[in-house]
Amino acid sequence: MAAWLVRRLLQAVVTFLAVAALLFVLMRAAPGNPLSRLTDDRPMTPAEQQRLQALFGLDQPVSTQFTRFAAAAATGDFGVSIEYYPVRVNTLIRSRLPASLLLGGTVLLVNLGLGIWLGVLQARRRGSSIDRWLTRLSLAGYAMPSFWLALILVSVFAIEWRLLPAAQMRDPLLGAEAGWVARTLDLLAHLVLPVVTLSVVTIAATMRYQRTAMLEVLRLDYILAARARGLEESAVVWRHAWRNALFPVLTLVGLMLPMLVSGSVFVESVFAWPGLGSLAAGAIAARDYPVLMATALLVSGAVLVSGVLTDIGYHVLDPRTRS
Amino acid sequence: MTSFRLLGFAVLALAAAGQARAQAQRGHGTIVIVIGAEPTLPVPTLSPNKANVDVASLMFLPLARPGKTLVTTGEAGFEPMLAKSWTRRDSLTLVFDLDPRATWHDGVPVTSRDVVWSLNRARDSAGPLPYPLLLRNLAGVTAEGPGRVVVTFRRASAEQMFDAVFHAVPLPAHLLDTIPPERLATSSFSARPVGNGPYRWVKFEPGRQAELAANPGFFLGAPKLDRVVFLIARAGEAQLNLILDGTADAYEAVLLPRQVTPIVENPSLRILTQPSFGIGYLLFNQRAPGDRTKPHPILADPEVRRAIALGIDREGLVRSVFGPYASVTDGPMGSASWVRRIAPKLPGFDPARARRILADRGWRDADGDGVLDKNGTALALRLNYPGSSLPRVSIAEPVQAMLRAIGVKIELTRLDGPVWDDRRKKGEFDIDISQTTLDPTPSGLVQSWSCAGIGPGGTNVGSICNPRFDEALHQAIRASTDPTGAWKSAISILQADNPAVFLFSPSQVVVHHQRYRNVSVRADLPWSDLWRWSVDPSQSLARDRR
Repeated sequence: MAAWLVRRLLQAVVTFLAVAALLFVLMRAAPGNPLSRLTDDRPMTPAEQQRLQALFGLDQPVSTQFTRFAAAAATGDFGVSIEYYPVRVNTLIRSRLPASLLLGGTVLLVNLGLGIWLGVLQARRRGSSIDRWLTRLSLAGYAMPSFWLALILVSVFAIEWRLLPAAQMRDPLLGAEAGWVARTLDLLAHLVLPVVTLSVVTIAATMRYQRTAMLEVLRLDYILAARARGLEESAVVWRHAWRNALFPVLTLVGLMLPMLVSGSVFVESVFAWPGLGSLAAGAIAARDYPVLMATALLVSGAVLVSGVLTDIGYHVLDPRTRS
Repeated sequence: MTSFRLLGFAVLALAAAGQARAQAQRGHGTIVIVIGAEPTLPVPTLSPNKANVDVASLMFLPLARPGKTLVTTGEAGFEPMLAKSWTRRDSLTLVFDLDPRATWHDGVPVTSRDVVWSLNRARDSAGPLPYPLLLRNLAGVTAEGPGRVVVTFRRASAEQMFDAVFHAVPLPAHLLDTIPPERLATSSFSARPVGNGPYRWVKFEPGRQAELAANPGFFLGAPKLDRVVFLIARAGEAQLNLILDGTADAYEAVLLPRQVTPIVENPSLRILTQPSFGIGYLLFNQRAPGDRTKPHPILADPEVRRAIALGIDREGLVRSVFGPYASVTDGPMGSASWVRRIAPKLPGFDPARARRILADRGWRDADGDGVLDKNGTALALRLNYPGSSLPRVSIAEPVQAMLRAIGVKIELTRLDGPVWDDRRKKGEFDIDISQTTLDPTPSGLVQSWSCAGIGPGGTNVGSICNPRFDEALHQAIRASTDPTGAWKSAISILQADNPAVFLFSPSQVVVHHQRYRNVSVRADLPWSDLWRWSVDPSQSLARDRR
């Protein structure tokens, strides 16, 4: 087990370094001048251009830039943002990460909690009208562009009915004096529409995976034996069948975990959610290399870590994979 | 007895009314303004980013500012701000007397030392961009005692006053003169700026909002709104939604009719439209795309450019895309620019004449495919525009259709913003849909439309070079008395050369909640008069009393 784990971790580290190098080169190769925004399209003399390039290390060859970046990044320093100059990238990431974790975490909880339950329900009532309707609805949600759904939800629930806030993470005028109850309720109100949007478009996968896995398990002899022993149906389903139908969902969880840090570019933009997704989107538009590299590496790291965790999960739960 | 009772009621009523009036005058109110970028450096001369400039305009005052007409020449039309008055000592010297009531937010008086230090720092060639260039006409800035500043100029010009007061806004020397210029942006001052304006800095939450509070001791009068919150939303949809759901109270943008419809239908919102300094135009590249050493094979011919300009129905295009929220412009000046009022009108839409001009230049449809050609070369051009700009996306297809009607084939090249910008600056385009916001002064035309603006240090990406125009522009800028005639002549020469098809100047659209009174917005700095706004006491909301 230890040797396997070391080998797996080494693989992840090598992949991460390769991704970092590739991202760095691709970003520099993309057309666009990151310094344009700093001067707001005002004329720059060559000397002034040089001064700005030197400020951000862009006057060096790409190989030198990468070496410097890698050395600094190894110590956790991603430098200074070009677009938000003079703010440091770490400060930006620190200020945006909690919002992404909150949104991604809530979506993950809703997705897994509700998606698994609905998938199991569909499998138990296979072929029933509930099964058919849930399939239709989940696939409709899956086919819906998140951007479009977000705009529709905002126009109905925020603008027409004034039930929920249209955007941002909290009431801009709610201060610390409001008390934690009021602030928590306000946060939850702001969370509803983005969470619903992201959940509607992603829950179908969880439901379908869970339904298929459950259907396979429910056909097995040991389930028949459990029922023959007179166990309650809920015990048969949740204690005996569901546990063995979890593996495909575990894979899905591994794929979804990076959502915790990556956020969603479109949804965060529509809801002005101050997370990493909107930060990355802005950095792409501005060619803010330091912010782009930091967010891209964070997401790459999350993908690799969740891949390793999923493998460990399989290794622990399924003895067959150990061989 | 009855008359005593009546008198008593009258006294009580008067007292109550007086109290209400006093409360209203004292002012309570909040405004939440949506902005599209983060004000990370809201200090004048440190960042030209619009969000920073908008926030800084509430905290820092200039010496004076152009008056309502936004005329940038002479001195009479300017409004006093930090300077209570100014006098001309000779044709090269202006003397400013500071308002002795002006103080910084830390209580220290604003003195000539602050003004001298700030202007000299901005003029320093090692200083922040692009101020050394903008202040190149200033020869010296000195103090005569704590309340008087003397500015000397290199040459006589009608815009000396504008040059002295508009670009570099005074900063507190007593807090900054020990900080090296290169460290100013990262200093603690930049994180918590200390200004002298109607509002003072409270806090900034990255990605969310920046907050300012009223400066009750503001020497021009206490602001009537206690609190200003700048709410950050990058996407246009989010900005609009924040206004429509009542989270935000105001925002300013270039809007298309379909974006305005839900605002008009909302009874609690008001729309204020006024001229702006923005312009949109189809810029012709006069050099070969990607090789500036050679003339453009088609567009180097001024007659072809003229034909293309005549083939576009500018009035119809602007009306169909913008409705009432833009006007047709006849040159490189926004509708708020004073030069616009003197600029000659451009010829109108005339496709028949356009076709005749092209035929005269040898362009004929030899193969009957609807596209003109000459010596085996088709009259085909690429039109570059950024996909992120809704107005330009809306303009591209109608332009393509109009030019197709006169035999010009347009290939639409919709690009990612940075890619579009990169190609534009490298001259890799035939025609570019450009949109920009200009300074109030027409002198800025040097950078984009004169030979001097070609290459590094300029923004003349179309390589436009007409020595006659340069000479006329030079005379207009240097005119020390009334420069109107000189500007009219310069613009006529530019128009005749057809370096671009000048299309539109979008209106500055400000949307605000209807409870605000004394609403006034400036085209150059939209929120700088916010301290004069107030809330109608009968319509105030809970947020105004928080």
